[in-house]
Formats: sequence, structure tokens, C-alpha cells
Amino acid sequence: MALLRRLVPALVAGLVWAVPLGAQESPGAVTGKVVDATTQQPLANVEVAIAGTPHRELTRADGGFTLNGVPAGSQRLRASRIGYGSSIQNVTIPSGGTVTAEITLSPAAAILEPVVVTGYGTQRREAITGSVSTVEGSAANVGVVTNVDQMIRGRAAGVEITQNNGEPGAASQVLIRGGSSIRASNDPLYVIDGVPINNVPTEPLSMGVGGSPALPRNPLNLLNPSDIASITVLKDASASAIYGSRAANGVILIETKKGGAAGGSTVEYDTYVAAASPLKRLDLLDAGEFSGFVRGQVTVWRTDSVSSCAAQPAFCTDTTIFKDSLAGKLAGLGPSHLKNLGVLYKGPGPWCPACGPSDTTRLFYNTPWSRATTRTAVTHNHDVSFTGGSEDTRYRASLNYAKQDGVAIASGLERIQGRLAATHRALDNRLRLNLNVTSSRVNNQYITFENRGGFEGGVFQNVAIFNPTQPITVTDPLGTRYFETGASSVRNPVALAEQVTDIGHTIRTLGNATAELDLAQGLTGQVTVGVDQSTGDRQLYYPLANPVGVALGNGLAQQSNLENSTRTLQGLLTFRRQLGEVHSFDVVGGYEYTKFKSNLVMARGIGFFTDAFTYNKLDAAVTRTDSSWAEDWRLVSFFTRANYGFKDRFFVTGVLRYDGSSRFAEGHKWGVFPGLSASWHLSQEEFLRNGPFSDLRLRVGWGRTGNPSVPPYSSLPLLVGGTGGTYPWGDAPQTGVTLGRNPNPDLKWERTNQYNGAVDFGLLNNRIAGSVEYYVKNTSDLLLEVQAPQPAEPSTRIENVGSMRNQGLELSLDAVAISRPGLTWRAGLVFAAERNKVLNLGPYAYLSSGIVSGQGQSDTRAQRLLPGEPLGTFYGPVFLGWDSSGRQLFRCSTGTKCVNGKTTSDGISPADYTVIGNANPDFTIGLHNQVNWRRFNITFLLRAAVGQDVFNNTALVYSTKGNALQDKNFLRPALTDSTALHEPAVYSSRWVESASFVRLQNVTVEYNLDIPVLTRSARSARLYVSADNLFLITGYSGLDPEVSSANQADPNDVGLAARGIDYLSYPRPRTFTAGLRLAF
Amino acid sequence: MKRSFVKASIGAAGFFTLLLVPLQGCTDLTETPRSGIEPSHFFKTEAEVLASLAGTYAQLRSTLDDYYNVSEISTDEMVVPTRGQDWYDGGTWLDLHYQTWNGTSAATGAFFNGAWNALSAGIARANVLLDALKATAVPNQAEYEGEARVLRAFYYYLLMDLFGGMPLATTSEVTRRERVTRDSLFKFIESELLAARPELPVSWNSANNGRITKGAVDAILANMYVNAGVFTKDSAGAGGINATGYNSCAGVTVSGGLDACQAAVNRADSIINSGVYQLADTFAKSFRADNASSTENIFVVKFIAADGLGLNFVMRALHYNQFNPSPWNGFATLAQTYNSFDAADQRRNIFLVGQQRNVLTGALVNDRTGNPLIFTTTIADVTQATEGEGARIYKWPADPAHIAQNNGNDYAWFRLGEIYLIKAEAELAGATGTPTPLSLVNTLRARVFNPAKPRSAVTADTVLAERLFELTGEAKRRQDLIRFGKYTDCWQYKTPCPSAARTVLMPIPHGQIDANPLMKQNPGYP
Repeated sequence: MALLRRLVPALVAGLVWAVPLGAQESPGAVTGKVVDATTQQPLANVEVAIAGTPHRELTRADGGFTLNGVPAGSQRLRASRIGYGSSIQNVTIPSGGTVTAEITLSPAAAILEPVVVTGYGTQRREAITGSVSTVEGSAANVGVVTNVDQMIRGRAAGVEITQNNGEPGAASQVLIRGGSSIRASNDPLYVIDGVPINNVPTEPLSMGVGGSPALPRNPLNLLNPSDIASITVLKDASASAIYGSRAANGVILIETKKGGAAGGSTVEYDTYVAAASPLKRLDLLDAGEFSGFVRGQVTVWRTDSVSSCAAQPAFCTDTTIFKDSLAGKLAGLGPSHLKNLGVLYKGPGPWCPACGPSDTTRLFYNTPWSRATTRTAVTHNHDVSFTGGSEDTRYRASLNYAKQDGVAIASGLERIQGRLAATHRALDNRLRLNLNVTSSRVNNQYITFENRGGFEGGVFQNVAIFNPTQPITVTDPLGTRYFETGASSVRNPVALAEQVTDIGHTIRTLGNATAELDLAQGLTGQVTVGVDQSTGDRQLYYPLANPVGVALGNGLAQQSNLENSTRTLQGLLTFRRQLGEVHSFDVVGGYEYTKFKSNLVMARGIGFFTDAFTYNKLDAAVTRTDSSWAEDWRLVSFFTRANYGFKDRFFVTGVLRYDGSSRFAEGHKWGVFPGLSASWHLSQEEFLRNGPFSDLRLRVGWGRTGNPSVPPYSSLPLLVGGTGGTYPWGDAPQTGVTLGRNPNPDLKWERTNQYNGAVDFGLLNNRIAGSVEYYVKNTSDLLLEVQAPQPAEPSTRIENVGSMRNQGLELSLDAVAISRPGLTWRAGLVFAAERNKVLNLGPYAYLSSGIVSGQGQSDTRAQRLLPGEPLGTFYGPVFLGWDSSGRQLFRCSTGTKCVNGKTTSDGISPADYTVIGNANPDFTIGLHNQVNWRRFNITFLLRAAVGQDVFNNTALVYSTKGNALQDKNFLRPALTDSTALHEPAVYSSRWVESASFVRLQNVTVEYNLDIPVLTRSARSARLYVSADNLFLITGYSGLDPEVSSANQADPNDVGLAARGIDYLSYPRPRTFTAGLRLAF
Repeated sequence: MKRSFVKASIGAAGFFTLLLVPLQGCTDLTETPRSGIEPSHFFKTEAEVLASLAGTYAQLRSTLDDYYNVSEISTDEMVVPTRGQDWYDGGTWLDLHYQTWNGTSAATGAFFNGAWNALSAGIARANVLLDALKATAVPNQAEYEGEARVLRAFYYYLLMDLFGGMPLATTSEVTRRERVTRDSLFKFIESELLAARPELPVSWNSANNGRITKGAVDAILANMYVNAGVFTKDSAGAGGINATGYNSCAGVTVSGGLDACQAAVNRADSIINSGVYQLADTFAKSFRADNASSTENIFVVKFIAADGLGLNFVMRALHYNQFNPSPWNGFATLAQTYNSFDAADQRRNIFLVGQQRNVLTGALVNDRTGNPLIFTTTIADVTQATEGEGARIYKWPADPAHIAQNNGNDYAWFRLGEIYLIKAEAELAGATGTPTPLSLVNTLRARVFNPAKPRSAVTADTVLAERLFELTGEAKRRQDLIRFGKYTDCWQYKTPCPSAARTVLMPIPHGQIDANPLMKQNPGYP
């Protein structure tokens, strides 16, 4: 702190001191041309700038540029373009005259923008002292990409992105350097065009039927990936501390495309068509296997009953005694199970034209339910954009239409989105105005599937259990209808998907307007106003025609509406100054005010006499309930960042943010978040000038960031109404109030202190470039929902408890493997190894997490948070095999049911639970390649994660033969295992599997058409084919080893607490795409 | 140079002014909740006080979850067998029935922890109201305060019954408190009940049916007094609770210097002589959906057929195909318990055995494989039971007007039938009173046997047997077995047995001790 106290005045003094140093000669101009050093072809879209000044311009299609109004004298002319190393040359500009410069650029290993968007401004890449990864929009927008999260996947070291499931537009669990929180959110902060956004679901949740509803889709689906110019990930705290209290999980900065070069107008049209089908389906018994199993078990039963009757003949003559005494003891399945194979028809019909009225016919089917509920799904996408403008006014406008069908039937996503970006400069380019508006409508079609738990309404659960000898539909004299068994916990999954309506719409507008004024040379003031307004609605109808609809009370309809709004006001002062060759300053100071508001309205009707109204006439329902809810909060911040460079050798960056949040109690509202980092460009030193390194930098940094993820009002006691507080006196319910939240006035931000050390290097004139980073992240005051001392209501409350450490090593390496006319091959590797450890949980010896889902699994938890162990530690009984009668055996140490260290399911003592797995990978790798060969451009992305375990909750519940006792199907491996028919499903080490994998995420082959031959007007036209998820190599037996365990059903499962639990996920697709990009 | 500096300075100043104008109002971070209200802004009117009182009553519903399950399933009245893939649930149900629990075991995490939290929440609700009443003045305040104090005392009574001494909170502050001894908690509950009693009415009009009366206070007290031999002791063993012999109320001195047994008789007489209560003409009447009009029920959890406000007992025991929505097919009765009922005793009709019907339509039902659904009395293997095994308790019949699983049957925590048996037991233990224990027991038997089948003599053990017949399913069995020193005994599906003497007090869940390290675990639990 003492350091900071001195730093701030020093920065202010520096600012004031530097202001008067204005140049006073009449300006001149620079003109010239930029060419590729290898091919000698002109390069368009190269940024040419006078270093340390706002003078910058993009080259035209012929590589030419002109910079007017440049101060006379010796200036440093910098040219930089993505994919190329930057070039700096000194030019002397005559007062009132023009100088000509010829510039050549060499391809660089990494496809990186030379100017990096950092918090509240941009920085030259060389001047960056923190840990920053950038992803180029165009490089990452391959295959079917619905949102920005999917673009980062595998392309930035230390950024682990797991899509929740294969649903179109599914949300992702994003972990930057392993996340920093247990219970609070681990989502990074998203900043779009400089305005932080509140990344919360924009649509109301659905309703879970006997379980928690499916997870919300990605709120960032509003952004069209084609509009994204670049994505910058601020990973370490010295870089992200400028975002202070919201930056503990890193920051993702998204810059959208802006208007192009002056004078040139462009029209681009991109389109693609894709076909997707599930990569893998559940391995279930087919009708032949299932009926074979049932018949075999019935034979066992008959044999057993014959011998039982022989032993005790008296029992077999009196059926009541027989049932009473022997039913549970006979092995196998009773003959009545044969009745549930196939479907019994009565009388004459298509199944038996010659039958008499009382004849019965049994027909057998073979329904592959996992295929019946999935499909080859088509996606098509159209983008039109045009850019243009004059010297002073430039714009880019774009329109997007995308329609993605899900690989599961009756699910999909449709997006209509428009975007306008305009800039205008006035007052001799001293005033710059900027406007970005994105508006989108996303239409979501959902199927009802289970996130966790659930006995009734999940499509994929019923896929697993529905009897394969039965049909999807039956036709009899009453007509054709979906076949239902009539059993309460088994529903026809095709009927569920088709008959239950669950749709949502989001309209979201994201806009910001910026005015930037040069106050003096190097000093710029900027005011930004940002608005993020979304309205999401959700419509749900469980019809009378479906048994779930009947069970819910003869039809259930629900309408809900969620409105979120965020308003941001930002004021920035930026000062950039280059003093000769020696000193450079770059100082930003600012203020930000953000206000968030959310409200939800829900109305539900139960009991309809017809399905005609669906959710459009709730007042026709027998009973109705409704609810509403609103909350708001505010964030106020002051911040500054100062970057000082000495001779382009040493750079120091200091960051300070002072954040105030309404969510905390008086006295805890404000927090200080500092960061400090430095870099030394060894390659600029004499002693290394002739070494192998074309670039060599050392960077160190430290910073502190926060996590404010407590709900608003958490420090206040709040009385709320609702059913839980209502009580009938006489026969009339008396509406009551109860405490809705257990207040904790001592709550404060989670704090993460992060240390970062890195080496950046470039070899062979940067044909090979890379960095190695090591970090340690200590998070203390973890916000956890814990048991409160009783009496208290609710029984838990949020407290700042305990601490956690992440440390890790990241490596990224890029190389131009081949660069010669006609052939360029760039390869990039990202590698991350991260270790997490819970250091302390305060007074709590351990906390349970990881709800186990499925029938017979209530109150079972798969994981524990244990001091000394990482998050995602599987904890439970150790499976040892089976006894001779097919009972599962588990390790034990004490107890009367413990024999030779082994016990059956009813003798397991929690004292014998132990660590049975770790959901964290040893390391992850992403390998991306880009080969440009003549007119072909081939890219592919491989991802791998090694060493993690996944709990196959699906197998636990659905690979047990006992399902046949209820005429339910099961997974094929159970057919041959030793488990007895009546054995319950017991969570144990048996179901924790190694889940290392290698995945070919995407491969794309693009062909540049020879334009002049085809058309006069098109500037370029490219055709491509692409495949997502082409192959997956893994030993994991479930659907997919990449699982997201996000779950809002239990406060201890939110965030990171539970990892690596796989339960009946929406299948992930393999997608083939063909596309065309045209520019006119 | 100079001109530029001036211009720049003016520009910068102007810019900062621009920023500072909105900034003035923009550092205010006070929260104004939208969908909730802070207690400090509430409790201004009688209606607001009544809303909080209703919330305090509402927590009574939760007494029928974990507290109920512990009181039934850890005894010989109920077992929840593992039925194939159903009801294993991490071993919780069998751990509870086997009494193999400790501070971290499956049953503790599920049931004891749940009861601890749910009952404590009732206390917390009462304390929020009682705190507020100190600072407000509304009509009928004394009566509302009396009801809140009785409710708080009742939640404490259930906790005392399970765990012994508890942290004693008389304010709504959430903080760590040490456990008081069970004896001091007993005295606190007793004094609260006695202090509140004068403020309460003898009975309520029908619009307020279900609220607390003087009779309800007397019933809780009578029950506490007859259990005084247990409720005043912090552990099993010498000088403490006798885990294998009768724990008499005789010799325990309670308020007013009375012997607890005599105090129990006095409280029972106060109820019987109040003129408000009388035995219903049939046994079944006190449990039906229309039992709000029962003259026998003294202190009830009030239920109506409305979403979230009804009794769900039909769900726990009935088979999937016997009711709509589909029940859970879980809770069953032990064959030995079913068989101990006299076949002529109408009280045996609470059990369902044999071929089953849909309880709403009366139609015969099949099991899930399509065979006739037959409930057998025996369960061959509680770890691998089938869906038809085990007799079911169906004491609170389905409400024809039910909304989903919500039935309008009130649940009586105390009814006159039990008061008769408390009185009989206290008299047998040495208190004086009329009529005789034999007469009291036979009064109850008279309405359930036709032809009559009175007992010729009673002992403490016959009272225990009559309590089983009269009160099965009413969550009294655990308390009774502990008082009679039979809780650790062996019964049909309980292995291993006998269980440890420590089980007469439940272990304190480890998470509760973590949250409040001032608490010490109950004796005998590691």
C-alpha cells in the first residue's frame, strides 16, 4: 500500500509535467507502400502509425497509405499487420512537406495483432507486461461456431472451456487458470468494445420435473462470431486488476469489427450449411438382447420356483402363502415380465386381419430409442456486411441469420442479428465519435432433459430405460398415438420431445457510444455510455396428451419473462507520450458507474380441459399461480493504469482500482485492487543482440483481484412471502412471511492474489515465437454457502471461509514452419498444466459436493472439498468386486458386516470412504495449424486433456440389470458384469473412470477462387469445407469425457465445487460444414 | 507552448467537470431490496404481525419430515427396504433402521441434520417475531406473543427429544452458542409453556381452527412430564438414561415442586376436564380429511388440499399405481409389528396388506410388471426387496379433494387418546388420579373392539403395547421405546443388534459442530 500511495502522486505529477511539451512546427505528411517481404505482394489493412501519436491509417488494397498532418521532425513510423512482424523505421518529416516510405513486412509465427486491446485502451504488444492471450476472430471462426466461448476453445493457453452439452448454443464453463472460486462464479468478466457486460442468463429457466431444469444457454449467443475482430484474454492479475472486483477469474475482451479503410467500400457475404449428428450414442440393449435377457431370467425363476416348491410343497398349493413367503427369494424375473415385451393387441386389425374380437396378438418391435430421439441436423448461416465511408466517417453494418437444429429432435436455435459500427472524426481528427449497436433476437427451442436428478420428464433418461421391444407409436381403432407403458416413471422419450413445448425468445440490444477528444498532444479524454438491455421470455406447455402433462395436474402451462438491463458510464483520460528514444508513457485514469437491474414475472396454470390453448390462455386453467421478483445493484469504480517504457527495453505497468459494490454491507462496500508488473526486453540489450533470439523478454507481475459473486442484499435480513410461510387457519391459507436469506453483514469480496512470471521469446527473426509462464494464484476469503450456527433460517448462509491455491505452467509456441512463395505453414501449440489445492475451509472439516443423480441416489454426494486436496476430488467407497451371489463388495475396516475387509452395500460405513479420483487433468494441449498452399488454406485444431477422472453417473444408474425388474432397459455392459439382478446401484470407485482424450476439434479446407476469371466485381471468393469434432480418442466409456458439472440445484455444487460428473447429457454432435465467403 | 498549455488545461478541466457532474450522485451504494422487506420496516400493523406468526406456524409442516422419519424408521414400526434400484439412497434408510449411525454416517447427514435445521428454523422464525414484538404495539399482542412462545417451545421440545441439550436462543441473532444441558432446556420449555398459557384461549372459532390453545400447552407438558425420566438426562448409563429398563417419571421434580408423574396426571386432567375434548366415536375419524372437526385432536399440524399446504403421507407408503400422482412405494411396516395387532382390533385397519386397490377409485391395481399388486407382510431381504413386500400404514386416508400430493388431513401431534395413555402410565408409575389405568386403557379399547375385548389388568408393558396399537404411525414410537428401555433391542430386520446404548440420543451432525464448534458431541459418539 505504501508503494501505491507513492505511485499515484508520481503518475499524476508525470502527467502534469508532460502536458506542456507540445510541438509547434507546421505538420507534414508521410506516404508510401507496404509489401510482403517474401512475396513482394502489396499488403492491405496494414496499420501504419506514427509511434506515440494518434496518427494512424490502414493501407489500401494496393498497399498504399498516406498520413496527413504529422508533426514535422524525426518520427518513428510503425507498420504492423496481423500475421506479420511489425516494422519500425525512422522518417524525417519536412515541415509542410511529404516524405515517402517503402515498408516490407515478414510473416511472423504467431497470428497476432500488433496492438493489443487491454483494459480501457490498447497497448503495443511489446509494451505489455502482464499475461495476455489473443485470439484472432477470423482464425477462430471456423466450423459451426455459435458464440465467442467456442472460438477461444483450445487456442489460448490456460483457458479451459467446456461446453455444457451438445445443445445448440449451449453455455460453457470457462476456467481461466483454473478459476479462483469454489462456490461463487468462475465466469470471467466479458468486456465488449470496452464495456463490461453482465453475463447472466437472459431467459427464464424452464421447470424441472422431479429434477433440476436443463442449464440455460449461452447469453453470448447474441454476438455473431463473424462480427468479432479479436478476443483478448487477460489471464494474470497484473493485467486484469484494472477490472478490480470482477476480475478474479480473468477478463475476456471482445473487439468487434469496425469500419474499414477510407475510400474503399466492401460488401461481404458469408454463408454455410452444416450437417450434424451425434458423435456417440448410449450403448443400450436392442430388442433382441433385451428380450433374450428377460426370457433367460424367467427361465431362472421357473427353475428356482420348481425347486422351491419341491422343497416346500405346502407353499405352492396356497398362492397367498407362496407369494408371502417366497416372492422375494426366487432368483430371476417372474413370468409376468414376458407380458411387457412388445405390445398386446386385441381383436382384428392391421396386426391380425383374421383375428376374432377376443383374439390377442403380440407384436414385437425393435426401437433404437437413442436413434429415435436424435437426427442429422442441419444448420445454415448467412452473414451480409458492408463497410465504407469517407476519410472522416466510416461504418460497418452487418446482418446475420443463423438456424441451427439440434441433434436431438425438437430442439434448436435461430438467430437474427443486426449490427452497426460507425466512427466519425471531427475537429481535424481531434474528436472521434464511435457508435456500436448490436441487436439480436434469439429463438430457442428446448427439449425437456435433465441436468441432474429427475424421475419423470427427461428425454435422455427415458432413452436409457424405455423398453426397446416397444414401438414409438401404435395404431389401433382409436387412431395412431404415441405408445406409453402406463408406468409412472417411464415415458416415451419421442413423445416427450415432440409433445412438450418449451420455447424461449431473447431480444437483446447492446450498444455503446464513445466520444474521444484530444485535449493536448498525447492527452485524450473519452466518455463512453453503454447499454445492455435484454428481454427473454419462456413458454412452456405440458399437454394433456402426454402422461407427464397428466401427472402434473392435467396440463401445465407457464409463461415467464426476464428482463435484464445494465447501464454503464465510463470516463477515461489517456495520456501517451514518447520522449525521444528513451521514455514512453502511457497512462489511463478513469471512472466507471454501472447499474444493473433484473426482474422476472412468471405465471402458471394447471388443469386444462383441452390442449388447444397451450400457454396462450392461462385463465382457462383450473388453478393458477404467479410470482414476480426484482433486484438491482450498482458498481462504482475509480481506476488508473500507468505504463512506462525505457528505451523499449524496460516496461513497468502499475494498476490500481478502487471498487465499490452495493452488494456488501456498509463498511465492506469498497475494495482496493492493485497490480504491478514489469518486463525487460533482453533482446534489446547489446549482449544479446547477436544471439539466437530475435526477441527475448522477461516478465514478472503481481496483482490482486476480487470476486463479488454474492447475490444482492446478502448482507440484509429479508422477509419474503411464499408457500413456505403460508399456513392455514381454519380452511383458509394465511399468507405469511419468513426470512428468505440469512444475512451476513461481514461479507466481503473474495480476494485473489496472483503472481506471474514469464519468458517470451522469438527465434529466427520471430519465425518461432513463444512464451512460458508460471503463476501462483492464492484465493482467500472464499465465498461459500455453509451451514450457519443454528437456530437460523435459512439453515445456510454465505460466508468468507477458507482459501485455495492454483499454480500452473503455461506454454505457447508458434512457428512458421515453412514460408516460401506459395506455401506458408504456421503451427501453434498451447499447453497448460494446472494444480489446484484447497488450503483451508475454516472450521469445516470438509464440505460435500457433487450430487449423484438418479433413482435410489438421494442424499448421495460424489465429491468432497477437503483441505489439502484439489477441487473435484471424488470421495466414496472403494469397490472390490463381487461375491459369489453377485453382490457388490466394498472395502471396509470395522463393523459387524465387515468380513475379511469386505462388505456389502448395507455395511458401508462413511468412515471407510476415501479419495477415489481427481477430476482435474494433469495437462491440456491445443494444437492449431494453418497451411496456406497456393489457393488452399488448411487449418486444424487438435485438443487433448490427460490424466483427469470422470464419474460416470449415467453408467452407475443405467448399467444395472435391476432395471429389468421394472421392465426398463439398461446399458449393454451390464449384460455381462457379475452384478446380481436385485443389487442396488451404489456410488463407488467402480464408476470413476479415467477420461483422458484427444479430440480433433476442427479441420477446415478453404479454397480461394481465382476471382478475375469468375467475376469482375468480386474481390475475393473462398469456398471451404469444415468438420467439427471429427474424431475423439478416449478410454472413457461414457458419451463424452468432457463434462460440465454446472448445477444450480445445490448451492454446494455451483461453480467449481463439483467437477467431472457425467449424467445423461445432450449428445455432442459431429458436424460437417460447407461454406462460401464472398467479398465485393 | 504556453497557449497550448492553457488550452489543454481548459480542455482537461472541462472534461473532468463533465465527468464529475454525474459522479456526484453515483457513489451512493445503499441497497433498496425490491422483493423482500427488512424486518426493521415491517411489523407495523396487526396484519404484518399475523403474517409472521403464520410463518412460524408454517414450519410445523416440516416436523413431519425428518423428525417424523427418525421417530418411525429407527424403530420397529417402519422400515424402508432397498427395492431393487429404488430407495438405496446412499444407505441412509438402512443406516437409520439399523441404528448404526454416528456423527458422519449416512442417516445423520440426511435425517438428523435435516431435523436439526428444520426445527431450528422454527425457533428462528419465532425469534424474529418475538424480537419484533418487543418494539411494536398492535392489538392482541399478548396472545400472539403467547402463540409464538409456545411454538418456539414446541420446536425446542422436539430437538430436546432427539438430541438432548441444545444451544438456547431467545433472540434472532445468528451466532455460536454453547449447548445447555437437557435438564435446563427442559426447564426452559416448561417455563415458557407455563408463562404463555394464560394468554391463550381454551378454544378457537372455526375460522381459526388449528391455532394453539391452553389444551395444546397442557398436552405438550403432559408428554414432557411422563418422559421426564429421559428428558432430564444427558447420556445413557449410570445415573443417566437407562437404555435397557423403564425410565420412570417418578422421582423427577418439576415446576411447582411436583413429582413429574403427578404433574403429568394433572395436565392430563386439565385437558380431560376442560370440556373441549372428547374421544371421537370411531378411531378412524381423527385421521380423515375432514378431521378438522375432530373433538379428539388437541394440537395439530394443519393441512388443506392446496399446493404446498397439504399432507403427503399417502406418497410415502403407497405403491406407484395406487394414487395419482404416483406415490413413492417406500415406507413399510415390520411383519412382527403388524402381527402383534389383534385381528379383531379395528386399529389394525390402518395397515394395507394383500391385494391392493387404487385408493381413489377402488379399482384393483397391478404392480409395475402387470401382476396383481399384493402387499406381503414379510420382507424376505430388506436390502433386496421387491415392490410388493411389506405391509403399509394407511392411517391418514387420501383426501378426495386432494391437489396433487396435497391432502387436507390434519396431523395431530397430540390427541386425547394419547392423553388417556399418558395418564394411565403416570398413575402406574405412582401418581394419584382417577379413573384407574385399567379403566383408561379399556375406554380406548371399547371403541375399537366389537364385540368388546377389555383387558383385565394393566402393567407398564401393556401401556406400551396399547400405545403401539393406538399411536402407530404417529411418531411416538422412538420416544416410547427409549422411555421403556427397549430402543436398543433386537427386532425383525435390525442387524446388528442390540444397538449401542448411546443411540438413545442422536449424534450431533458433524456439519453442525463445524458450524458451531462450541457444541460437544453426545456421549459415546466418536
